[in-house]
Amino acid sequence: MNTSTPYLQIQHLRKSFGSFTALDDISLEIQEGEFICFLGPSGCGKTTLLRAIAGLEQQEEGGIMQAGRDISTLPPQQRDFGIVFQSYALFPNLTVSENIAYGLANMKMPRRERQQRVEALLEQIHLPEIGDKFPGQLSGGQQQRVALARALATEPGLLLLDEPLSALDARVRLHLRNEICALQRKLGITTIMVTHDQDEALTMADRIVVMDHGRIAQVGTPEEIYQQPATEFVARFVGSMNLLPAEVLGHRSLMLGRKEVQVPMILPVCDRGTLGFRPESVQLHNGPFGLNRDDSLVLQARLDQVHFMGAFVRLEMTLDEELPSIHVDLPVEQLHSQKPAVGENLWLSIAADALKFYPAEQQGRGQVQARSADSGMQMGVAAMQVAGA
Amino acid sequence: MSATLTLAANKRGFDSETWLQRLIVAAGVLFLLVALLAPLLTMLVKSLQNGAGEFIGISNFVDYFGNPALTRSILNSLNIAFWTTLIVVSTAFVFAYALTRSGMVAKKGFRLLSMLPLFAPSLLPALSMIYLFGNQGILKDWLPVDSIYGPVGIVMGLSFWAFPHALMILITAFSNSDARLYEAAKSMKTPPWRVFLTVTLPSVRYGLINTIFVIFTLTITDFGVAKVIGGQYNVLATDIYKQVVGQQNFQMGAVVSVILLLPALISFVVERRVQRHQSAQLSSRAVPMQPQKSPLRDGLLALFCTLTCGFLLLVIGMAVYASFITFWPYNMDLSLNNYRFDMMDGGGWASYFNSLQMSAWTAVIGTTVVFLVAYMSEKIKPMPTARKLLQLLAMLPMAVPGIVLGLAYIFFFNHPQNPLNGIYGTMTILVLNTLVHFYTVCHLTAVTSLKQIDGEFEAVSASLKVPFYTTLRRVTLPLALPSVLDISVYLFVNAMTTVSAVVFLYSAETTLASVAVLHMDEAGDIAPAAAMAVLLMLTSLVAKGLHWLISHQILQRTQRWRQR
Repeated sequence: MNTSTPYLQIQHLRKSFGSFTALDDISLEIQEGEFICFLGPSGCGKTTLLRAIAGLEQQEEGGIMQAGRDISTLPPQQRDFGIVFQSYALFPNLTVSENIAYGLANMKMPRRERQQRVEALLEQIHLPEIGDKFPGQLSGGQQQRVALARALATEPGLLLLDEPLSALDARVRLHLRNEICALQRKLGITTIMVTHDQDEALTMADRIVVMDHGRIAQVGTPEEIYQQPATEFVARFVGSMNLLPAEVLGHRSLMLGRKEVQVPMILPVCDRGTLGFRPESVQLHNGPFGLNRDDSLVLQARLDQVHFMGAFVRLEMTLDEELPSIHVDLPVEQLHSQKPAVGENLWLSIAADALKFYPAEQQGRGQVQARSADSGMQMGVAAMQVAGA
Repeated sequence: MSATLTLAANKRGFDSETWLQRLIVAAGVLFLLVALLAPLLTMLVKSLQNGAGEFIGISNFVDYFGNPALTRSILNSLNIAFWTTLIVVSTAFVFAYALTRSGMVAKKGFRLLSMLPLFAPSLLPALSMIYLFGNQGILKDWLPVDSIYGPVGIVMGLSFWAFPHALMILITAFSNSDARLYEAAKSMKTPPWRVFLTVTLPSVRYGLINTIFVIFTLTITDFGVAKVIGGQYNVLATDIYKQVVGQQNFQMGAVVSVILLLPALISFVVERRVQRHQSAQLSSRAVPMQPQKSPLRDGLLALFCTLTCGFLLLVIGMAVYASFITFWPYNMDLSLNNYRFDMMDGGGWASYFNSLQMSAWTAVIGTTVVFLVAYMSEKIKPMPTARKLLQLLAMLPMAVPGIVLGLAYIFFFNHPQNPLNGIYGTMTILVLNTLVHFYTVCHLTAVTSLKQIDGEFEAVSASLKVPFYTTLRRVTLPLALPSVLDISVYLFVNAMTTVSAVVFLYSAETTLASVAVLHMDEAGDIAPAAAMAVLLMLTSLVAKGLHWLISHQILQRTQRWRQR
């Protein structure tokens, strides 16, 4: 892999639909052979970005270089990519073989060779027997694998996957995830996948591009994205996260609701912000003994509810009536050994490196911001609970 | 490998492909501009000119409104349209309800019979009315008014002819039911009448409004029925004909045309608006309702449907029977004398074969044009403004009454300075006019079926470097084949039976059978007119039957993939 010249270079891409800004100054570099996921909620511009790379949407500003070639204004026919859509987009009146060979017919490839290529591809997607069937006779997962084979048939330099797994049921989705990854590693083809499913992005991608409102919120490896979410949005969107609105009192002290707490980190200079930590990073204690406030945040909170989630239990705790409740994930065994009672006050500690603080965006609109952040918080909690369940 | 691929794609050149797409879009726009918009605008201009072609402002309109004999027709037309709409929509409403929501028997049979009027020229019911209720009609004594020649005859004839149009829209509206709503209502112990008012009626509301406007437009613009059975009762459409053919007063013809265009345009705009609401109404998760049996209701509905179909069959049967009578009412022997068209006015058998030829051309050329234009407006990217214009123009013919379009064609194509002047009086202008006249329904059919095809096919083929026309040929066309066949048979049947638009445009070499019906009736040869009308209906039915057979065969053979 040659890191000095990226395979795909996106520079200052801008695109809007009427008054809606779909892409707002997007710049991105992708190395050859990488598996990249564009992750974000619907309407964040991830699909538009993919379609711009394919040439299916024309950007208003900015350029795209692929393999050293400026493809900014080229129509899709002259670009080099294969694409798979959520809807499969298999031609229903052609057999599986004809579908896969659809792009080969144009390459003036001899019939025998074409046949061999189709068979090899069917072998690769582990569906060797289905060449003569029509797409309507296949299951969703099989159809999507055929669509993948069709996209790979012409040996493109870039594979684009537009929410390829979203239309499938959970079990098939898991299976196909592995299969796509294995195939991608084997062929070494540069791949971009669009998804709104964080699990999909975390398990499949080499690097994730989190997008929000037409902008890139963060680019990083799955671990970086999960452990070091760069913004409140990323924190909220990837995994579950406790996000508590806080007022900054000093370098190391915060006002959480009506309680003043010491934090084991240097806070940025600002009025207010959001304190975040993941539910699984919380340690539970029966008392405040032996807790070091220099390297962890110590809180006392009331246990309200215990949700059994299978592999772990989620405790819902109240730190302060004015704040959203805190979620704490514990292994089931720990719950059994500690046996906390509902209504009981417990001690929590969160290690310094698991704590994140996001300053509120703008000073002037602080009040408004805080309130909207609050209402957003309720939704965020709800979303987290859905995501957790 | 990928390098050679790119090179090949470059050499073949995308530009030629976009260029081809642009060319087709431009051709489509040009076609609709020349064949639709330009003639209509010419007619508008004519209505502001005097006989010598000088601009005289609105003085033609002043003359028109100063002449009570002419303005009376406006009220007459509204009167006819009102009563026909009332009768047709209420009958079709009950009929559609019976077909979709009741446990009535023989639904398929009722439905087939109710579609029969679609295949008859609109002159047929008018001729039939003469035999049923005319001065020597067999049911003359049943008629509550003095004479069938007038509003009563027109309303009855139009009701027959417009019925299936109303029925089709209402059946679609009633089919969009959501069983879950009915179950919810039932679980709350709602009485049936309240369910009807609160669930059924709202769900067909838009369909009902739509039907009212469609039928109103159809009847206010109809020419054939009023011409044959209107007697002294003048309506706008016959006024145009009389001004142009009778008095050679083209300016006044243009004025009346502009006035007739107004209600049609208004109802067209309302209808489009309503249509937009309707499409958004039904959620994709709705569960279709299974009609349940209820002996009393089903019996009453079956009786109603039997009576309605009885009327339709009576009208058709009367025309068929009368066409075989040697000399009504003096010699009631059956013979084929009336089918010896060469002895009559109107062009004889030659006109029948002209009609066949014209219909075949319209079907073949029309289907190709309609499908290509619909494909371009639906599936490609370049020239968004031109494609918008294309869609708008394609909707316009629905608002233009046939007789208005025909007159507009005279003004435009007969103009000595028009380079297309040469097609005047030929088969070409008849085909062109008929195609434009029936364009909108075909366009909508094609667009609907194209919308059902995955929108990413073009993107996929582009990524595979397959040109769009290959995908059109190999994938899109086969997928849309059933609707392509529907369009062709729709064009054929309507080209066979239409009178209003072509009545101004035929020449001695291109007489048409439907126009011959009109002329034979004018000459007093009512029986041969009926015979020709019956022949036209039979031809349309045969065409429909062939269409069914062919599409059945083709679908069996080529559409193996549809079976799961």
